[in-house]
Amino acid sequence: MIRTIEVLFVIIIITGAFIGASYFAVLPAPRQVSPINLKRLSLTTLQVLDSNHDLSKAAFDTNDSTTWNSLQVALSASLPPNILYNLTVYDVNTDNGQLFSPVANISNAQSLGTTSDVSTYTVASSNVTFNVTPEKIGENSNGGTLYILNCSDANGWWITGYTSQSLAQDLYNLLSPYFVKTVMVQSTSQLAQILGGTPLQGENLRNAVIVNTYGEAVPIPTSYCQAPYSNNGYAYYSYFLGQTVNLYNWTWCSIVGYPFYYVSNTVSLSSGQNSWGIYGMQMTGQGGSRAFLEGLNNQAYSYNSAQITDSASRIVTLTQDSINYCNYYGIYPSTYQTSTRALSNSTLSSYNLNVASNVFNPSGDYLAGAIYNHVAIDSTNITGSLLALGLTRTPDVRLTGLSLLSYYQPRLYPSEYTAKGTSRVVVLELGLAGGA
Amino acid sequence: MASATIDHMVSLIVFIGALLIFIGLFSQSIQTANVYERHRALSTKTSDLLDTMLLNPGVPANWGQSNSDVTGFGVQDPEFTQYQISPFSLMRLEASNGNILECDKSSPNIYYDDESLGSGSTLLIPVDQALNYSSALTILGIKNTYGFQLTFTPDITVSITENQASSPLSLTLSATGTGFPFAYATVNYCLIQVKLPQSQAEYPAYTVQSGDVTTDQQGIANISFPSITDPNQVYAFVAYAHLNGVLGVGYHTRTSSNDQYVVPIVQNMATQQIALAHNFDLNGTGPEGSSLKYNATFVILKQDFTLSELSFGAPGNLSLVGTVTSGRGNPSPNVFLPPTTTGILIVTYQLSPTQGGIVMMPWGISSLAFPVTFGGNPQGQEWVTTDLRQVTIGGVAYQVKLELWDTTGQQVTT
Repeated sequence: MIRTIEVLFVIIIITGAFIGASYFAVLPAPRQVSPINLKRLSLTTLQVLDSNHDLSKAAFDTNDSTTWNSLQVALSASLPPNILYNLTVYDVNTDNGQLFSPVANISNAQSLGTTSDVSTYTVASSNVTFNVTPEKIGENSNGGTLYILNCSDANGWWITGYTSQSLAQDLYNLLSPYFVKTVMVQSTSQLAQILGGTPLQGENLRNAVIVNTYGEAVPIPTSYCQAPYSNNGYAYYSYFLGQTVNLYNWTWCSIVGYPFYYVSNTVSLSSGQNSWGIYGMQMTGQGGSRAFLEGLNNQAYSYNSAQITDSASRIVTLTQDSINYCNYYGIYPSTYQTSTRALSNSTLSSYNLNVASNVFNPSGDYLAGAIYNHVAIDSTNITGSLLALGLTRTPDVRLTGLSLLSYYQPRLYPSEYTAKGTSRVVVLELGLAGGA
Repeated sequence: MASATIDHMVSLIVFIGALLIFIGLFSQSIQTANVYERHRALSTKTSDLLDTMLLNPGVPANWGQSNSDVTGFGVQDPEFTQYQISPFSLMRLEASNGNILECDKSSPNIYYDDESLGSGSTLLIPVDQALNYSSALTILGIKNTYGFQLTFTPDITVSITENQASSPLSLTLSATGTGFPFAYATVNYCLIQVKLPQSQAEYPAYTVQSGDVTTDQQGIANISFPSITDPNQVYAFVAYAHLNGVLGVGYHTRTSSNDQYVVPIVQNMATQQIALAHNFDLNGTGPEGSSLKYNATFVILKQDFTLSELSFGAPGNLSLVGTVTSGRGNPSPNVFLPPTTTGILIVTYQLSPTQGGIVMMPWGISSLAFPVTFGGNPQGQEWVTTDLRQVTIGGVAYQVKLELWDTTGQQVTT
């Protein structure tokens, strides 16, 4: 009998354990088992309401009952009938010491029940302009000058559809915020002045950037339209330019095509033409680039007409770094470009040029766009640079801007979004009707 | 000795019986907990899967505007971020509630997925260019694991009814949200009035009359057109109801030729080729040699909610006219729509001097606020979890619902 009584005791104990376990193991309500993601629904609802910036306007126009009635109708119409909501707008950085303070509220229920979730959405006032202040290239060093060749007495080539003046203006608008001083070189005589080492407006001559907006042609001052600069179809002039770039550690920018292929001066070379019917221009040919590189490398002049590019047509793509800088600087040229004058990397390296920044992904040995730094043997100093965009015509100066910015990488300083009165936070809390 | 033995036997039987009962009781609790965990995991999966579908454009990103095979499933508009959905990708989804139509214009016959919505608007996509449910399951990596149904429903339902046929034409518009009347919303509308010429040499044309009204507290607005005096006047009425970023679209058409009409059919998504077929060519519903004169135009919605005509190909080529004839020996004329611009293809047609009609085809699912249902049937499944998002498709507000269920065959009784 005692065994049976013991078993009954065991049954009582196990029953107690089961009741105890069942008491604590409370099953959740069905809606808690498979809940709707109210947080996401709330966020997407706010995004839809602000798709035309109407939510932003309403958040800053809380005293307008018509606007708020419309917002409530739109909110009620968007959400399923069993969804309860509570939308509150908070002001940011008020004067009373609180970070957020409520300024308006709409709701379709007194209580959102036991299951609710919330999303927040920051809106900006349309009355506030958020400025971005760029860091100036060269402001902490001896440099920071941007020269844009805008010579009225020169013609361009491979800039079909544009004029040098329009390209120069576009470049000015694009790049001048990033430089300490931007100087438009208005004539070849002004170009002669800076080639002679004399600043035009008191700017720093050293470490400057010179953008040649004339495509494959280079403006030549009248004083250089004579020997020895005219030797070998003015290839020697290109040699002189290379020397000057080396001397002042300039960055020379060729925006399209084969660099230094022509020289142009509409007065001194008025009777000459580039063999394509453009007067005021003289063809230098393939030797122009070689001569420039010899000058840049500070070596003796030796005319060499071997080409530094080929003429293959290549579809090239921006490097990932360039694409990242597109987003950073807000410059969006097409990521696909056609190159017909890609420069041979191995050829340029023989002039002690190192690739400092690839604008496009290389195509074998050929680079469709890159910035090369000249670093002499046994030296670590950069003595002149060349940006060569070997793309086919017509040029896209945004690529020039992007190339220079991705090389110098000036920082952007946005204004504070949390400044008083500029931002408000909209909080939408959603719940399910019908209790737990 | 005997009583001790009996005691042992009774106690053992009682103990074993009690043990079995308790094992059953505890198993039931454990099983219920397992079910809870599985359902909870299914719910989490639903939310994740929905975001996966809505927040990536798929692979290739422009699969909605091409015929290429889809290797990654996603319906986000590749031009935008966040919950903005491509109106073209949704066109390539094989609607689970659509009919299959057979066009016997060529040999072999071509089958189309009919995603049309009511009279006056059609959307027929070639079956071989549509992404089907089975492929989507495979691409998502959930074949034989989960089943789903993805539904895109416009937030705002704009329904239009005709109260009086003429003198004046009187229409009542009702705009309703998913949970509330769309009260005091601005409604911009366009009445497309078709002109049927009496001369055989001329083709049907149309004029557009635009205006705006505001809905009342019930989301209703009445609109009348005194200029419509003919009760057989053919017209289409398109309305855009909008309020605080929420936009809904509705339409209504009236035709005077009901047995014969033109059906625009998407021939090629990649080249944006649309064939204009005779309805007799679909499912062999009529004889060969029946002709209709047509005039096709493509219109886009401008920011001020008015319609603007867009040229077909060559500049200035705003409309195409011709004749559609049923039968295999009479090829369907083709029009080519812009690759990335959403709009409405409007085709007016004429059977006789007094009989004609108008048909519209959305280019981009949102142009006429078509709903989309894609996937399997959740009915009869053991447990179906649901999640919701709000999205915009071509500026039109939609609600997206994903229903997900387990297909691994684990049956649960609770």
